Amino acid sequence: MTVELNCRGQACPAPVMQVRDILAAENPAAIAVLVDNEAARENVSRFLTHQGFQVTVEAMGNDFKVTGGGRDAACEVMNETELAGLAGGGKKILVVIGTDRLGHGDDGLGAGLMLNFVKTLKEMGPDLWRLVMVNNGVKLAVAGAESLPVLQDLAAVGVSILVCGTCLNHFDLLDKKRVGETTNMLDIVTSMQVADSVINI
Amino acid sequence: MIESPIRLTQTVKGAGCAAKLPPGDLDRALCGLDLPVDDNLLVGLERADDAGVYRVSDEIALVQTLDFFPPMVDDPYQFGRIAAANALSDVYAMGGTPKTAMNIVAFPAKTLDLAILRQIIEGGLSVLREAGVVLVGGHTIDDPELKYGLSVTGYVHPAKILTKKRLRIGDRLILTKPLGSGIVCTAIKAGLATDDVTELVIANMATLNRVAAETMADFPVSACTDITGFGLMGHLAEMVVDSGCGLRIDSATLPHYPEALEWAAMGLIPAGAYNNKKFRGKFVTFAESVGQPRRDLCFDPQTSGGLLITVAAGEADSLLLALKAGGVAAATIIGEVVAEPREIILVE
Repeated sequence: MTVELNCRGQACPAPVMQVRDILAAENPAAIAVLVDNEAARENVSRFLTHQGFQVTVEAMGNDFKVTGGGRDAACEVMNETELAGLAGGGKKILVVIGTDRLGHGDDGLGAGLMLNFVKTLKEMGPDLWRLVMVNNGVKLAVAGAESLPVLQDLAAVGVSILVCGTCLNHFDLLDKKRVGETTNMLDIVTSMQVADSVINI
Repeated sequence: MIESPIRLTQTVKGAGCAAKLPPGDLDRALCGLDLPVDDNLLVGLERADDAGVYRVSDEIALVQTLDFFPPMVDDPYQFGRIAAANALSDVYAMGGTPKTAMNIVAFPAKTLDLAILRQIIEGGLSVLREAGVVLVGGHTIDDPELKYGLSVTGYVHPAKILTKKRLRIGDRLILTKPLGSGIVCTAIKAGLATDDVTELVIANMATLNRVAAETMADFPVSACTDITGFGLMGHLAEMVVDSGCGLRIDSATLPHYPEALEWAAMGLIPAGAYNNKKFRGKFVTFAESVGQPRRDLCFDPQTSGGLLITVAAGEADSLLLALKAGGVAAATIIGEVVAEPREIILVE
C-alpha cells in the first residue's frame, strides 16, 4: 500500500525528516510525497533513492508529487537471496578491516599479508557485499597505498566500500581517500545488522 | 559547547548564507541601475566583488562591506562569532585590513529573551577583538525573525587590491576551509549531526580568514575571493566570467566535512544549493565520474567559508606549506587556471 504524505509549506530539511520518520515507523512498500518547492522535490527524491526506492516525479500545478516505489521488487530479491542463502550461495558478507596489518607480530610481514588478503578477497565472489574500513584500516584506502588499486577494482565490480570519516579525519587523511564512500557509525552498525555474516580483521 | 535552551535554528526559515536572495533574482532587481560615477571608486557594484573599495589617497583606500543573516547554529554566542568572522572575511578577501565595525541586528523581542541578544553581541565582539577591529556602533530593529551581522570598514593599499579578476593561466587554486557547511547545518537542523561534527563546523565558521589573508600577502597571488552563499561554483563562476580563461577542478581533492557527502546523498541539502546550481550551473561541466553528492557539494552555500586564492604555480606548494604552518589546516590545492575551455569550470 502506498503511504501518502503532504509536505507542502515545509522548508528543508523538514520534508526529508518526515519521510524518514514514516519509513522508520511503517516501512511502506511505496510512498507518495507532496511538496511545493524544488529543493524539497530534489531532496526527497535523493532520500528515497538513497533508501532503495525507484523514484518518479510528477508536476501538479505549483506542487510536485514525488513517488517512491519498487521496494516490493527489492523485497523479492531479498527473499530470493535468503532462499539462495539456504541453498549455500548468495550470502551478504561484510568484512570489517580495522588495521593495515594482518595478524600480530612482525609489522612488515603483517603489511604484506594484508595486501595479499585484500587481493584475495575477490575469491569470495558475489558473496562479498561490503568492506568497512575503520581505525588504521582507512590507510588502505588512501592515495599511495599499495592496496588502493586492488580496492578500486573491487569497487568497480560492485563491492560496496565504506571508509570511516572520523578515522580519516583523525589521521588527517580526508583529502587522501581515493576509494569508497566516507561513512559514519550509524551506517557501520546498520551494515553489521543487515549482513548475513560479518568478518572482523 | 554551551547548551542554549532555545534552538535558534528552529526559529527561522533560512540558515546563514543559505538564506541569501537567489542570485538570479538579485541580478534582475539590480540590472540597469543608474549608478553614480566617481574616479576614486576602485571596485564598485558593477564588478560584483567581495567588497567596495574607494581611494582616499595614493596610499590608502577604504574597503567597505556588510553581511547579516539568520542563525545557522543554536548557540547565540557562536552565532555571533560566526556572523562576525563572515562579515570580516570580505575585507580579507580584498587583500585589506579591517579596522571598524557596526552591528546590524533584527531581534524578535516578543519571543526571545534579551539575554540571547547580549550573548550574540558578545560572540561578535570576541571575534572583532581577535581581529583587532573596534565596534563603533550599530542598529537594532524589532523583527519577527532573528538576524545578525556587521558592516565592516577596512584599509587597503590601492596597488594591493585583490579582486576576483586577473586570473593567470597556469595559476593554482587554493581553498582554505572545508566545504559542506550548508549541508552540515541542514543536518544539524534535522537533528542528525553528532556533537563532534557540529563543533567542527562551528569552529571553522567562526575562524577568521585573517591568517590565510596575511599569509598570502607574501606570495604572487593573482586573485582572491571568499566562498560564501553562492557556493564554490557560484564564486568560481564570478571569477571566470569575462576572464578569457577557464578553471579545472579536481573534485577528489575538495576538502569537506566528514559526513557531508553522505548527508548530500540523503537529501540534506539546503535550498540555496539548488538556487546556486540553477543560476551558475551553465558555467560548470562535470566529468561523468563525479558522483552526485560531490556535485551537490560544489554548489553548497557556505557560511563564513574559506578564501579561494589563485597563486603562481611555482609558488603554490610554498604557499600551501606556509598556510598549514600558520594553522590553516584544511588548505588544499583544488585545481588550476586553464586556457581552455574558456570561461567554463571543468570539474573532474
